[in-house]
Amino acid sequence: MRIYFILSLFLLISVTSIAQECSYTLSGYLVDEDSNTPLEYAGIIISETQQGVHSDSTGYFEITNVCAGNYQIEFSHIGCECLNQQLQIKRDTVVTFYLHHHAELLEEVVVRTNRADLSTQTSTSISEGDISKESNKNLSDLLENITGVSTLKNGSGISKPVIHGLYGNRIAILNNGIAQAGQQWGNDHAPEIDPASAQYISVIKGANALAYSSNSLGSIVVVDGGSITDNTNLQANLNYIYQTNGRGHTFNTRLEQNGKWAAWRYVGTLKKIGDTHTPNHFLTNTGKGEANISFQIEKKFSTQWHNKFYYSLFNTEIGVLRGSHIGNLTDLETALARSRPFFTQDEFSYTLNPPRQEVKHHLLKFESKYFINDLQSFRFQYGGQLNNRKEFDIRRGGRSEIPAMSLNQFSHFLEGNYNLQTLNNWQLKTGLQFRTVDNANEPGTGIIPLIPRFNSYTPSVFGILQKQNNQWLFEVGGRYDYRFFWVKIQEGTSSNIVRYDHQFHNYAFSTGAKYRDSSNLKASFNLGYMQRAPEVNELYASGLHQGVSGIEEGDRNLQQEKSLKAIGSIDWNIQENTLLQATAYYHYIDDYIYLQPQDDFRLTIRGAFPVFIYEQTDAALYGADLQLTYELIPNLELVTKYAIVRGKDRVNNNAIINLPSDNLFTSLEWRLPSSDRFNDTYISINGRYVWQQDRITAEQDFVAPPEAYYLMGLQMGTSLPFGTSKVDVSLTVDNLFNVQYRDYLNRLRYFADEMGRNVSLRVNYQLGH
Amino acid sequence: MTTIKNLFFFLGLTGLMFLTACNDDDVEPENEEEVITTVNYTLTPDGGGDTVTLTYRDEDGDGSGAPVITGGTLAANTTYSGSLELLNETESPAEDITEEIQEEDEDHLFFFTVNGANLTVAYADMDANGNPTGLATTVTTGDASAGTLIVTLRHEPTKPAATLAEAGGETDIEVSFPVSIQ
Repeated sequence: MRIYFILSLFLLISVTSIAQECSYTLSGYLVDEDSNTPLEYAGIIISETQQGVHSDSTGYFEITNVCAGNYQIEFSHIGCECLNQQLQIKRDTVVTFYLHHHAELLEEVVVRTNRADLSTQTSTSISEGDISKESNKNLSDLLENITGVSTLKNGSGISKPVIHGLYGNRIAILNNGIAQAGQQWGNDHAPEIDPASAQYISVIKGANALAYSSNSLGSIVVVDGGSITDNTNLQANLNYIYQTNGRGHTFNTRLEQNGKWAAWRYVGTLKKIGDTHTPNHFLTNTGKGEANISFQIEKKFSTQWHNKFYYSLFNTEIGVLRGSHIGNLTDLETALARSRPFFTQDEFSYTLNPPRQEVKHHLLKFESKYFINDLQSFRFQYGGQLNNRKEFDIRRGGRSEIPAMSLNQFSHFLEGNYNLQTLNNWQLKTGLQFRTVDNANEPGTGIIPLIPRFNSYTPSVFGILQKQNNQWLFEVGGRYDYRFFWVKIQEGTSSNIVRYDHQFHNYAFSTGAKYRDSSNLKASFNLGYMQRAPEVNELYASGLHQGVSGIEEGDRNLQQEKSLKAIGSIDWNIQENTLLQATAYYHYIDDYIYLQPQDDFRLTIRGAFPVFIYEQTDAALYGADLQLTYELIPNLELVTKYAIVRGKDRVNNNAIINLPSDNLFTSLEWRLPSSDRFNDTYISINGRYVWQQDRITAEQDFVAPPEAYYLMGLQMGTSLPFGTSKVDVSLTVDNLFNVQYRDYLNRLRYFADEMGRNVSLRVNYQLGH
Repeated sequence: MTTIKNLFFFLGLTGLMFLTACNDDDVEPENEEEVITTVNYTLTPDGGGDTVTLTYRDEDGDGSGAPVITGGTLAANTTYSGSLELLNETESPAEDITEEIQEEDEDHLFFFTVNGANLTVAYADMDANGNPTGLATTVTTGDASAGTLIVTLRHEPTKPAATLAEAGGETDIEVSFPVSIQ
């Protein structure tokens, strides 16, 4: 558990009094630097005298009878490793400590808390250490470790997160505070983010996203670089993973330092993975390569003015299973009848042939925060993104090396925030935002683009009001977005370009309450209403989606989705060794946009194709996530996670498609005592049972959903200290018994089995930790 | 106060970036290069007689417009030389796709599936590897009957292949002609 605890002591009001030498009072507030909200129940101790108190629910603390002198002040908060602060006391002193308090992450049996703790939302995080352990995986696969999160896949290389049954445009992904403006048009478009660049990744399973996205329906994925070390020595972290399945190499470098002029961090990732393997055969053309970098600089010009600069480049090339590239319905039927896909090679290869994707995503971010005084602050943020996506298909006439789709998406985001706190525990957060997106097709593909050229402009305003009252936190907020965009579309095979304009007014409201009783019980409830405007693909998609062998058509008269979500969650330390975390939600969505298969097939020169048209219906999604952590005996921990989602089309009275199957995950971890040579030695065994998705009818899919499956896994690792550095070694085995299975949320289920056994060996070197 | 000034300066600067980014330039129309709109299957009787042309034309590609299909009547117990022609008629003059297929004949294979009608189709051409492609065929009719002839073109199939299921690849063309033999 590593917590960055950078202190910025910026307001020092001194009150002179003529007093005895040991009768001074040290008092003040503990405030979270990022959110500017009070840090409740944090410990503050004077090291030398061991005088200590806890802050109250408002963050206020008071230590009396302090003698004059120089002291080390220590802080503690649930699960924190805390840094000390020097303070000279010559008189009664009132001080506000701004604690840079990042993610407190659940790794042991403690009540989870993290950034979102300062609101009424429910959230769960993955720490830097855990990201590094699985840095060979992509963002979505890492998120699957969180209860209630599944992934929608297109083979092993491409996946996107599904949270509470929603995915794609309905989920906001914040990359270092900036909403990811990638290309989420299809289920084969994965978020363009390198998880290794993050210090923590959180999922906020909320009912609203008022402060963030203009077009999501609640849940948010937060990927954040966090704060750079306050250590003035160079910190290095080198991470290498070899995986047997795909013979993949992943190499991450992380360097950071609190330099003389500014604090900086560099993260680089190189990845090369070849064809993966089912228990029986290779999955030809499923390799991928990645080369990513990110760079972060933090500079405090004064204690009041903090600046952050961030740049990242995500750069990948991914192959798509060759045997999944098919033509018409007959081809699909032929493919369905085979256990081994067409084009399966007997030889392993790193080569990527069409169909493949090349994606580059640049993010440039600047953030400036100005504290007017200890109760008010301004924050300004700019985020610019450039996304370039090229998709290569199998084509005639030597055109396979010409992209079949080549999109350039520029987006800019500007934000001004104002934060006001009052001494009687009211807090107001308001902001103005402006976002533009310019999506252009690079000409010369020889194929009429699936996504037309469009420009969108979205000014937004939001306000959130919070009131802290002892153990209670109440919250109410609202948001308004005006969304204007125009589309220029080439109609049919003619060369006529037609422009269409659209505008939408999105309103969102939310209210919530949280109760927290010291560290044993935390409960929260949230209710949110929001609207989502249809995206360009839902309005204008037109054409054949290869691989699903279906023709997709948008409907330019679609209305906004209107959503009402209620979510309740509880974290309860039932006993000292038992922690229960439970979340339940009910989500009503009117005018839910979905792809409706049409009754008639369309006859073309390429044969018959099913037609899917974007239509609207009224839907309801509901479900629960449960996690129970139980320490059987000291150092032996059992974790059980269970998630279910149900979705109903309230008009047609059938199930919503692409919802995750029920799943149960259990792991048993044994931590060995540390010795001089070995630290943090652990061994753990886990099992995952996934039920069959048996709620959809035969008309809703080409084949029945795959059967239930059970997978087992094994993990072990240790840490070897060498002076100021250490080496971690770990071994992970996924699908231990090489089980042959298919998963409902993997589009390639029509064509091939999932990956078989995969053994990963990781070596991690850390300098200066 | 200078910090506030700096902030405003930066705000202005980014505002400027926005203005330059929001250009409303025109969209270059894309020329759909791989469309096949038309299949002509010309059957010429070996011993002389009426030439029959089976035609399938769908000018809007994957659009919702229905194709125009012209079947044909063949003479009984006759041998015909069959020749396939593929066109992209969205271009003017029409682009001959047959040439492209010929150039990449190792990667293409036509299949002829007969239902009901009393006729057989045999390959009469070879690619560089000595495998048939099907651009040229020999069609032999039997007694009077009626049914359909389905022509399928597979891209990147396993070659040679006796059946469609064995061939794999992806279907570029699948058209069905009504035929009768008199």
